Amino acid sequence: MTKKEKILLKASAAFAVLFAAAPVANAMHIMEGYLPAGYCIAWGVVCLPFLVAGFLSLKKKIKENRRNMTLIAMAGAFIFVISSLKIPAPTGSCSHMTGTGLGAILFGPAAVSILGIIVLLFQAILLAHGGLTTLGANTFSMAVAGPLVSFGIYKLCGKLKVNRKVSVFLAACLGDLFTYCVTSIQLALANPSEAGGVGASAVKFLGVFAPTQLPLAVIEGILTVVIVIGLETYAGPELRRIGFLPERSAGASADIAEGHGTEKGGAGK
Amino acid sequence: MIDSLCCRSRLRDKNAGVKSAFALITLVICIAARSFPVSAVVFVTNGVLTVWKGKIPASSYVRLLLVPAAFLLAGMAVIIVNISDVPMDAFAIPAGRWYLTGSRHAVLEALELGGAAMASVTCLYFLALNTSVTDILGVLRALHCPSLLTELMMLIYRFIFLLMETASALMTAQEARLGNRNLRTGLRSFGMMGTALFLRSLKRANALYDAMEARCYDGEIRVLARKQPAEAGDILLTVLFEAALTGVMIWSRIR
Repeated sequence: MTKKEKILLKASAAFAVLFAAAPVANAMHIMEGYLPAGYCIAWGVVCLPFLVAGFLSLKKKIKENRRNMTLIAMAGAFIFVISSLKIPAPTGSCSHMTGTGLGAILFGPAAVSILGIIVLLFQAILLAHGGLTTLGANTFSMAVAGPLVSFGIYKLCGKLKVNRKVSVFLAACLGDLFTYCVTSIQLALANPSEAGGVGASAVKFLGVFAPTQLPLAVIEGILTVVIVIGLETYAGPELRRIGFLPERSAGASADIAEGHGTEKGGAGK
Repeated sequence: MIDSLCCRSRLRDKNAGVKSAFALITLVICIAARSFPVSAVVFVTNGVLTVWKGKIPASSYVRLLLVPAAFLLAGMAVIIVNISDVPMDAFAIPAGRWYLTGSRHAVLEALELGGAAMASVTCLYFLALNTSVTDILGVLRALHCPSLLTELMMLIYRFIFLLMETASALMTAQEARLGNRNLRTGLRSFGMMGTALFLRSLKRANALYDAMEARCYDGEIRVLARKQPAEAGDILLTVLFEAALTGVMIWSRIR
């Protein structure tokens, strides 16, 4: 074996180890201590306006009806549990949902920013996913950027009268992909490549995480569709009474009622 | 989950404020310094404190340390490996016209980053493994974090375990009925579990509100915190350690 072949063998072995360990890797949480101090603070500051907006909107919701307090807390716990459970993945490995798309569709982007930062904090303390210093960066990618895109796409599809399943799928899937892109750019900004700078570095980070993140985004989309459709079938009245789906117009709720009827008919057969 | 390990920690009854201050200040110094000596000191100190003083089983501690390993390996590989048409000084593997190549500087940088990141992870684990979430919330309350947030966190923390239990029961039931036979049924089952979980969590939330209302809930949850006064010795040790760590940081800078 020549020296070069040896190096090649070692490199490929390292790569194999990396992907053997990959199932342990969760969604795109930037680990504790990975970002330099300046970036930690900067991303925290970027999140601040979104967090304040979320805080005020939650405060208003709770003032309207105190019962919303337990509901909002339950929503936060729901996002945590859904994102911490292992889901089946095509490679046979196990991965986690991010739950951001689902959260944004059900609770709106403002509430998700606050719930997101709390969930991320608990994920760091209870599951060792993410960290305290990278909380700002992770909050921006997972609790602000992703949900905003999901919510925007969901609304846009609603306006364009796209099929509901398709719109939910697109919202969750693209929100997930956007989170993954934002995280890669965050990582690239902190570690610009020697040859090619931030751009080349971003491409490399995107490439390294693509094998786990691309299938995950599709799965996230499918699961969100199954959950949202399930909820609209079985919990339409509850959702509307609570006001978690405020965008429901009369026409859309008729749509649900109709879906409810057919689903029931299907179950009866 | 880390929480169950935390209950066994011998350092659990130490003052939460001192522990949090220790973990956070060490974390900040560790990230600001990003040098091998500081990282090594922090890594060893936290390891000794958690495993030897806190009596957290070493095997669980090591397993937790491996959790971020995949992310770290990928992150370091990206920094080290460049694709360029000019080979660099550390290594160069030709691939067609291009080289997979890296410079000595980048390798050193990546190793320093890896060391600092692992050391910071031990800071996080020191806090998480030796301080219960209720104590951390107490610290946040003392820091005048808005009460809406601390209460929300307290409720979420409680609900997480309720929902976990429900979810695991649902998933066991699905497993018993061959719900995870292949990818298709697996996805369907997971979605159905999500739906059922959401419905049940809504019911739980309503029931809990009724229960709280019946016990005179007026928009604020008051809890009695267990008093764990800070010991002067602990504070002194923390201050000394942070001073020494700052010293090491300055020394490694001017070296």
